[in-house]
Amino acid sequence: MSHHDVIVIGAGPAGLASSACLAEMGLNVLTLDEQHRIGGQIYRNMEAAPQHRRNLLGEDYTQGLSLAKRFRQSSATYENGANVWQVEPDGTLCYSRWGQSAQVKANYIIVATGAMERPMPIPGWTLPGVMGAGAANNLFKEAGLNPSGRVVLAGSGPLLLLEASLLAQKGVSVVALLETTPVIPPTPAISAAPKALRRTDFLWKGVAMLRDIKKAGIPHYKGVTHIHAIGQDRLEAVEAKHAGKQLRLDAELLLLHFGVIPNTHIFRQIGCKMVWKGDQRYWHPQCDEWGHTNCERIFAAGDGAVVAGALAAQYKGELAALEVAHCSGIIPAYERDALAEPVKKALKHDHWPRPLVDAIYAPRPEQINFDDNTVVCRCENISVGDLRKVVHEGVRELNELKVVTRSGMGPCQGRMCGPALAEVIAVELDQSPDQAGRLNIRPPLKPVALHEIAEMSLHVGPAAGANWLLDKKKSAGKKGA
Amino acid sequence: MDDSMFNTDSADRPDTVMVTLDGKPVALPTGMNVAAALFSIGETISRVSPTSHEPCSPHCLMGVCFECIMEIDGIQRQACLTEVHAGMVIARHLNDDKGAAT
Repeated sequence: MSHHDVIVIGAGPAGLASSACLAEMGLNVLTLDEQHRIGGQIYRNMEAAPQHRRNLLGEDYTQGLSLAKRFRQSSATYENGANVWQVEPDGTLCYSRWGQSAQVKANYIIVATGAMERPMPIPGWTLPGVMGAGAANNLFKEAGLNPSGRVVLAGSGPLLLLEASLLAQKGVSVVALLETTPVIPPTPAISAAPKALRRTDFLWKGVAMLRDIKKAGIPHYKGVTHIHAIGQDRLEAVEAKHAGKQLRLDAELLLLHFGVIPNTHIFRQIGCKMVWKGDQRYWHPQCDEWGHTNCERIFAAGDGAVVAGALAAQYKGELAALEVAHCSGIIPAYERDALAEPVKKALKHDHWPRPLVDAIYAPRPEQINFDDNTVVCRCENISVGDLRKVVHEGVRELNELKVVTRSGMGPCQGRMCGPALAEVIAVELDQSPDQAGRLNIRPPLKPVALHEIAEMSLHVGPAAGANWLLDKKKSAGKKGA
Repeated sequence: MDDSMFNTDSADRPDTVMVTLDGKPVALPTGMNVAAALFSIGETISRVSPTSHEPCSPHCLMGVCFECIMEIDGIQRQACLTEVHAGMVIARHLNDDKGAAT
């Protein structure tokens, strides 16, 4: 079993910054990423993307290149296509790469798994032709693909507007932008506005996006409800309600986006303490400003810890690295603090507009109108009606719901249905989604072939006992997961 | 009916390699993941859901949704996390009664 000073999981902005910073200080760093190229989602394929693509994606994309260069010049060992399938609080980790699994260990693990689009079940969202707005963005970054037919964008959040303006610039036929965001901004947005005004550069970006959308003549509806994807074998039309009227738009592609949430499966499998963020309605690992979780060897950095965008992720990656270096005995506290000062300042500057953006695009329960026929768990094909039935029979908790209905048991392991399951229970019982708990996450985090596990050389420590692989449930219980 | 959902940007000319797709030789662009490459040649259906028996297409393109899971070189893999290489054997089992195994 190879041993490293630090293992960083993820090669997005946070992971790259952590890895580079620690490697520069002389630590032995292993960076594992499940994608094939560095950059995470925001900087996907930045190193290989041709110039015309970079020009279209702009500075928010190309600013990652300097970070990429720094990472490449550092001594961090980078392994792509690495699917981490188990992480232990003691720093032991198992991952699969090129059909082989290995067990490795580190003094510290920085989990920088980033964010994902919030899955929001709407009727017909399993039809081919319905995908995440981020998915379309990824296809362009990675492969230069543009939607060939008519596109409807629906949901809420700055990234939805960003994608709309990008599609408009590329000359894609966008037949409508359906925003569930209300016409009048909610009250918390007003108190957050003055701080945001200190970042006029950021606000101008928003204005420019809206201008592009308007200039392209894209019909832009706000306060839309009841979004519905219609079609037989693939998407044919999108329906929605707007200002008391029924809209129907023929389209080949529906891009959904309902904001982003942290990708927390690894934290939850480890048994890290999780915190509910009520205004954004998501779970995130409890951590301090350095990224310390309640597990001594496990750090959280970037959007996986709390969603704040690419630059903030990079700064947080840097802060976690400095603290790990300090904990490793490489730098004293005063040096850590001195190095962290400009990073913290940059982080604060970056954060000014965030409360405003969060308040404007906050998910609201009234946005949700679950229809009995809507599929929630895509893997197991479980509908809202199936869930409602068992909730009315007395099921109150997500893991109970999982056992009774199989929702969350499929290959995605509740990544796509977990948040929505809690929302369905919340609506039925008129409670907050966190009251239904969270799905327990167990290894393997990603499907792994049994022969890979059989062929692994496993180190079994004295504390772990002979059946460490079998006894996951017991130890998860002890951690209070 | 033209099934393609995406077109390759006119400024891009990706290299291609030969792979086997559902038993037939097919040229796929390289330097990208299998899900993106299949979209670029108009193959939008990734699998038939083993539970709903309906056709699925990739949804998230970032390794979360598992809708693009297909048999690649003999193993069920997420196509969006698998890089295209020459000689790759992809089997989507689209015509199997119950779809691919989970």
